[in-house]
Amino acid sequence: MNKPWHLDRRTLLRGAGVSLALPWLEGMSRGLGAAPASTSAAAGGGGELPRRLCAILFPYGVALPKDDDPAREWGWFPTGEGRDYQLTKVLQPLEGLKDDVTVFGGLSHPRCRSMNGHDTGDTFLTGNNLAPVTYRNTISLDQYAADRLGQATRIPSLTLSTDGGIGPRTRATTLSYTAKGQPIPALSDPKLIFHRLFGQDSSSRSDRAKLENSGSILDLVLDQSKSLQRNLGAADQRKLDEFETSVRDVEQRVERSRAWLSVPLPEVDPGSIALEANPDGPRDYIGAIYDLMFLAYQTDLTRFSTYQVGSYGPTLARTFPGCLGLNPNWHSLAHAAGKKGGPENIGKFDRFLAENLARFLQRLKDTPEGEDGSPMLDRTLVLYGSSNSRTHQNVNYPLLLAGGRGLGLTNHNQYLRFGSDTPMSNLFVSVLQALGTETESFADSTGPLAGV
Amino acid sequence: MAAGPLPLSIGLGIAMLCLSNTITPTHADDATPESLQATYDGEIRPLLKALCFECHGPDKAKADIRFDTLDPDLVHGPDAETWLDTLDQLNAGEMPPSKATQPTSEQRNHLTDWLTASLRTAAETKRFADGRVVTRRLTRYEYANTLRDLLGIELDFARELPPDPASPEGFLNNGNTLEMSGTQVETYLAAARKALAVAIVDPGEAPAIHRYEAAQTNIGKLPRSNAGGAKPVNPEFVLDIDPFPRTGEFLLRIRAGSVIPEGEDFPRMRVSLGNVPGIIHVPRKLVGEVDVIAAADQPATYEFRGRMEDFPQPGDRSFGGNVAFHGMLLMIDFLDADGAELRYADRTYSDPPAKKGNANQNKNAPSKGRPIPESGPRLDIVIDSVTFEAPHLVSWPPPSHTRWLVPTVGGEEKERARQALERFASRAFRRPVNEEEISRYLDLFEAVRKREPHFVAAIRETFAAVLVSPHFLYRVETRTDPVESETVTDHELASRLSYFLWSAPPDGRLTELADRGELLAPEILREEIERMLDDRRTLEFVNRFADQWFDLDALERVAVNPEFYPDFDDSLKEAMREETRGVLREILLGDLSCLELLDTNWTVANRALATHYELADRPRTSAFQRVSLSPEEKRGGVLAHGAFLLAQSDGQMPHPIKRAVWIRDRLLDSPPASPPAEVPELDPENPDLAGLSLKDQLAAHREKESCRDCHLGLDPWGIPLEHFDATGLWGTHSPVRIKTTRKDSPPDAGPPRGPLVDAATVLPDGTEVTGLDSLKDYLLAEQREAFARSLVKRLMGYSLGRSLDFGDREAVEALTADFVENDFRLRHLIVALATSESFRTK
Repeated sequence: MNKPWHLDRRTLLRGAGVSLALPWLEGMSRGLGAAPASTSAAAGGGGELPRRLCAILFPYGVALPKDDDPAREWGWFPTGEGRDYQLTKVLQPLEGLKDDVTVFGGLSHPRCRSMNGHDTGDTFLTGNNLAPVTYRNTISLDQYAADRLGQATRIPSLTLSTDGGIGPRTRATTLSYTAKGQPIPALSDPKLIFHRLFGQDSSSRSDRAKLENSGSILDLVLDQSKSLQRNLGAADQRKLDEFETSVRDVEQRVERSRAWLSVPLPEVDPGSIALEANPDGPRDYIGAIYDLMFLAYQTDLTRFSTYQVGSYGPTLARTFPGCLGLNPNWHSLAHAAGKKGGPENIGKFDRFLAENLARFLQRLKDTPEGEDGSPMLDRTLVLYGSSNSRTHQNVNYPLLLAGGRGLGLTNHNQYLRFGSDTPMSNLFVSVLQALGTETESFADSTGPLAGV
Repeated sequence: MAAGPLPLSIGLGIAMLCLSNTITPTHADDATPESLQATYDGEIRPLLKALCFECHGPDKAKADIRFDTLDPDLVHGPDAETWLDTLDQLNAGEMPPSKATQPTSEQRNHLTDWLTASLRTAAETKRFADGRVVTRRLTRYEYANTLRDLLGIELDFARELPPDPASPEGFLNNGNTLEMSGTQVETYLAAARKALAVAIVDPGEAPAIHRYEAAQTNIGKLPRSNAGGAKPVNPEFVLDIDPFPRTGEFLLRIRAGSVIPEGEDFPRMRVSLGNVPGIIHVPRKLVGEVDVIAAADQPATYEFRGRMEDFPQPGDRSFGGNVAFHGMLLMIDFLDADGAELRYADRTYSDPPAKKGNANQNKNAPSKGRPIPESGPRLDIVIDSVTFEAPHLVSWPPPSHTRWLVPTVGGEEKERARQALERFASRAFRRPVNEEEISRYLDLFEAVRKREPHFVAAIRETFAAVLVSPHFLYRVETRTDPVESETVTDHELASRLSYFLWSAPPDGRLTELADRGELLAPEILREEIERMLDDRRTLEFVNRFADQWFDLDALERVAVNPEFYPDFDDSLKEAMREETRGVLREILLGDLSCLELLDTNWTVANRALATHYELADRPRTSAFQRVSLSPEEKRGGVLAHGAFLLAQSDGQMPHPIKRAVWIRDRLLDSPPASPPAEVPELDPENPDLAGLSLKDQLAAHREKESCRDCHLGLDPWGIPLEHFDATGLWGTHSPVRIKTTRKDSPPDAGPPRGPLVDAATVLPDGTEVTGLDSLKDYLLAEQREAFARSLVKRLMGYSLGRSLDFGDREAVEALTADFVENDFRLRHLIVALATSESFRTK
């Protein structure tokens, strides 16, 4: 058991700047043996290394200068096609990672095309048009995966966004939706995210008692809710249904936590992450969010996460470009993308976003796991993009997929262009299959995406 | 904005006015779904075919409307909203368009009669068939207020709850939009445990009290250079608090006075607390600000309270940061009346650097301080002493503990638990609890007791169960019959009233009246509403309603571009919010007419805002007060409020479309349809449009066929406000980017100016307006009833926590008529609404 990749308890991982306690790592080295017996039966358990998915959305679209335009270097999409392509200045930060990245052109959600230009953040991971009037959504890619594979970890999935919460319909501040299409509130404050991940020491006695109590409390609440239902109007009963489902959800979480009781939480030094970062300082803030997702993966607390860098609404992230000395209004920046000097302005900001992504990918690539010490990135799929091409245009999403060489995605280093009828959901099917679900279709897909 | 599909409601500012005339047709009462269908088949459809099918039929389907396929069953079909719009358009005379064949007046009446009768029948059916969400969960702020009142402690209870989404009308308390999720339930449980751990204390000795007192500032321990994006701080007074308790209330007393030379105004103290070493330099949180009105020779004591756990604290172990101090820092900054720091060049703010230091490298030495007067006193604050005490206890155990648990010697635990639970659960559920409910809680108590070390710990867990019950988290209104409407119970009415007017649970008196079953008695109900309106907790209503009705939160979502407005201070945004809230407050408390929202000769401002607005009547302090306005100052009415003008801008230029949408939506309740997909927004940086005035830019935009119809009805509402820049200031020229222009223009060119503003326009009904004044005149003369109805609808939606439906139309009309008749007085309207049948019916 003393292989070079084994880490001593409290080894300082220099790349991560984090001191980690051993037991969970030991578990990782055995491949998920650490998962409690009751949960390891779920898919993904049984001695296999984790398969992960991270999905990231940035709003408002990108610059699309034509090939003969001198500003083409600030366009988001590469020049050329297939194997013969060149990254522009915008995606240049990913140059060193090209063997792990495929860029896609032409994809979109055809069902969402008739929605208003700024309404499609809600459906980026769901692929379905929002229902009229109620704006009811459908399940998102990450939750689809987490429902099937998320039981293997302490936290089934992690939903993050700069603005937090769920936001108003059509201007959602979360990418994740339950099987019933309900938005899942996103966490935004690095401190709270850290606490959610590493905050409880569930091995202590009082926490054990608290968990047992929680079970009893939720039982009682559920009973109350059921008997209350009988005395309500029809619409109210639907609301109480929602409550009951939520309580059941927590009950399951409590059950899962109880199963995890005997497995100590990883210890992570909060000082290694800029937990005080907030959206006033976009650099530190976005960095901290990526760091937290990385840590959650590294400690195998979760395998599925989403991060919405900004929403299409006039929210906090709108001012982010200000940190580069650009117009502190992302929306205006995107609108000016077709104007003189516009591509450079938004391109610089999109490059900044790509730099942050590259840093995250590089950490995943530099961190080995498993018997063969293969990079974490090989078993992590990172989907990154926007649901507008130019702002307001719900076609030709700028998209890329990184990682997953160990999950069969060995065909990277290419720029695949598709016709506008190809649904992005086909890519979702490919992703879900790589993750190990037996998925044939998702939303309006017509099959897996060719060439991935 | 998530507006519903209202494709026909275009340019309808005046349409709503006409509705009341036609809402009660003669035959409506006799109509049945069958008779209406027969009328449709025999008479209405042929009429529609003749008049409408050409444009709205199989061949054209303009605005996506096809009358040939529109479902005439308004109850079960999906098209009721479209029929409603059709009625509005007919009434307004907007459809059929003037170039098309016009119906005879008999035909028109025939159509409107059928539509009105159908709508009315549909309303009465739909009202109960579909069901309204009346059992809604508490909003984030209601939850916080409810825990505060229940537990009797001030704590940021809702801090970790996700924000609530806004309804299509902009309200946060809409039962249908308020959702629940697993994470939310989990957070409720965690928040309840956290709150109860503070409120109900473990047995044993009182915690040690930390007390610090100083008359001199403690300098020299603060970071000196920029790091982690934070600037070094130079407070005038520093108190080290080390060691410190991590929880509990603190009491801070500052004894101070000010020295005010002739011509100067009251200086202020800004107090902050906190310390997280090593991550970012001295992050601290505001405790409060106070104007130092006492003179230095007669100092006064200024008190602040807060809770330790709400302020940033250093961790309990060091992680190698660069600050050795691990206590909490209390800092006091001095400001002049306008918010500038009172920093004099001759004053020392921290020790010079210890290592390799020389005077030139001391980054902390203020390079330019405030000029020191050559003779006479300088504006200053003199601190006599600072006392800090934490935890501040009035008794032990604290009142929040003894409120439920009487310290007893002995006694059977289960019986003690029963007594505590009966009182706690009934207050938490805002109604009496029954024996069965209590016995379930006692079962839980006994189960929990086995795992917990002592009685109090088990009680806390049992109380936590009460605080995640649907009876606590939701405002439950039960039904005996799932279909028929019923009168609310006394306790439900008490909650309706208290959450409407206080955003908080019923107080002792309301509960008592409900317990006695007297609240529904009309005399007592009216008396109670009056009492509640006289209570200062009503300010909660004013603030929440103003925030949500006027969308004041939008202020936080607009970034003011410093290239356009280099002098704009972001703290003015909060002041602007306070102005709008303050005006509504004055109107309610002063029993004034709501028409003063449209135009008036006063506003509410503090010194900073009055300075921004360049008002002659300028307050001497940072406190908000009523100030008078002259007509030349152009500030009367909410359309001249910075909160509206800034929030509905893009942070650089005025935004006539946003402003127009706001006026139509928020003031006139006639929101325009959402822009269609793939239509680019008006872009002031478009070079094709550069050099044109905004009005001309809009005119260019309207030349596009697809944009014209909407914008003809929209733009004219925003253009009259073009003189107001993004920060709400009036000017003759459009704002421009000051920084870049300055670079390009010769140094003596004077301040850069954009094109001259032309605020003249023609409103959709043909009225010519030349600017804000004539727009206000028009609103007051022609739209006062539309405005009144809009306010009634918003208030009613807010008070009931739901979107209004067809079934509310009559109530809205009745309340509007009564409101108009009673001089548009808000107080009268609130009383009328809260005593109305709608408010008492579920």
